[in-house]
Amino acid sequence: MRRTFAQSLALYATVIFTLLMILFPVYWLLVTALSTTDELYRLPPTFWPADPQWDIFARVWAAKPILMWLWNSMLAAVGSVALSMLVSVSAGYALSRYSMRGGATMGLFVLTAKMLPATLLVIPLFSIFSSFGLIGSLWTLVLAHSTMIIPFATWMLKGYFDTIPKELEQAAMVDGCSPIGAMVRVVLPIATPGLAATALYAFVLSWADYAYARTFLVNSPDNWTANLGITTMQGEYVTYWNDISAASVFIALPIIAIYLFLERYLVGGLTAGAEK
Amino acid sequence: MTDTVRAGRRKFFDLARPSRQHLLGYILIAPAVLMVAAIIVWPLILAIDLSFQQVKIPRLGGASRPFSLSNYTWLFSSEEFWLACWVTLKLVVVVTAGSVAVGLSTALLANNRFRGRTVARLGMALPWAVPEIIAVVIFAWMFDTSFGLFGWLAIQLGFSDQMIPWVSSSTAAFWAVAITMVWKGFPFVSIMCLAGLQSIPSDYYAAAKVDGASVFQRFRWITMPLLMPVLGVTLVLTLLWVFRDFSIIKVLTGGGPLRSTQTLSIMTYDQAFQYHNFGRAAAVGVLTLVICIIASLLMLGRRSKSIY
Repeated sequence: MRRTFAQSLALYATVIFTLLMILFPVYWLLVTALSTTDELYRLPPTFWPADPQWDIFARVWAAKPILMWLWNSMLAAVGSVALSMLVSVSAGYALSRYSMRGGATMGLFVLTAKMLPATLLVIPLFSIFSSFGLIGSLWTLVLAHSTMIIPFATWMLKGYFDTIPKELEQAAMVDGCSPIGAMVRVVLPIATPGLAATALYAFVLSWADYAYARTFLVNSPDNWTANLGITTMQGEYVTYWNDISAASVFIALPIIAIYLFLERYLVGGLTAGAEK
Repeated sequence: MTDTVRAGRRKFFDLARPSRQHLLGYILIAPAVLMVAAIIVWPLILAIDLSFQQVKIPRLGGASRPFSLSNYTWLFSSEEFWLACWVTLKLVVVVTAGSVAVGLSTALLANNRFRGRTVARLGMALPWAVPEIIAVVIFAWMFDTSFGLFGWLAIQLGFSDQMIPWVSSSTAAFWAVAITMVWKGFPFVSIMCLAGLQSIPSDYYAAAKVDGASVFQRFRWITMPLLMPVLGVTLVLTLLWVFRDFSIIKVLTGGGPLRSTQTLSIMTYDQAFQYHNFGRAAAVGVLTLVICIIASLLMLGRRSKSIY
């Protein structure tokens, strides 16, 4: 399709305008971090600081245990993703390859689990974890995040395994591979992109959690995750917006980096369920 | 020959045997079923059980209170619950409509062929990758009552003659939450719609063009019908997200002022962890789940399978 010059111009103008509108809040986060306090508490607002305070990042990094928060988020995410993938891979494979009684019920269950509000599940989980003495430990997050991850990961992986022809394993088994061997040595390597997409998406889900972290870890500052830590920088009376913005940059960066570099996998994961 | 050798070595527990294949399926699925039973089904049963007990702070293994409907009768007669339902409904409608409008238009825009399209597409859906809490930090500052950008803009553009009290005015707080949620929620719609758009064969458009269909007609009679399945599923998933979201509202307004942004999710949480009424909280949560299930079944009908 050929476009006239005017049409091209209009298209580019619209695209650029849309991008500016959408990305402005992200830009504003950066400007806020780099502004001096004087510039922040002044109207009209400063759209680019006269003297960008680049050292704010080093200062906030030193003043707040940001590395520890990030590390805790990482532990919770890696733990819950590992645990969930361990059970979801084999379950997804079983659902894809073996016709089992209750397969349809599983589907219905996944649907319900997707609708389960975290604010409801957090109530019984809180009493369960407190009676096991787990409150304050990162294990609570590993388990709680698995409640979000397992149902969707199982279903997503089943979808991926469905796209891999059964004949491959049959060939492997004819050559003397055991059924488990065929799964581990033949199917899993082929499904690697699918596994990566699922794990990546699960990681993002876990990283985004705030409700569970707030409920289970609020009294154990050493185990605070990034999201929980950042909200404690929001003061009741005074919030240092440049500090909290700088810290936010650190916390948003890992996910934004994943998104920018591995977008294809993530989007594959997002849309896998909907394009049937 | 080979057969006899194999038979001789046949293991007692040979999972490769066709008759044992089913067993292997069950073995593979067992860990997931056990996990789900332990961390989702059991807690859910506990929560439902809790909602029928008059209990403040439950202890596992403690004597359970007698069956009672008091949590539900309290709910249905409390103004707070109905207000939360109303707020949830308003928010769901506004945010879903906003996300679909922005998401669909950005998807249509990014579906054009132009130079730098990959970068533009990444940029347009970037808010998806910004964690909710960080989005709240950004917007909380932009909505700041004294020095926020939005208040200043409203004055400059003549919508208001003073800074807008985003925190203390019910209407303003509601819109602050809604705007933040749309910014966070539309990229998902955009990503899904773009994937849907790209699966529409371009021949259809070429054929329609030959037949003299205008841009609008092509959109109305090709794009819309073919995009509908994806859009429907996306709409329901967005709706469910707004319904259950906790972090954005909790951190931005805490449900206030005067409960004007208190959705059912926030009410569930606060009843449990602010007022320590676990029984009542469980009742609100169970009702939220029921509403979610009914709403999505109604909206998707027989297609509900596709949101698995």
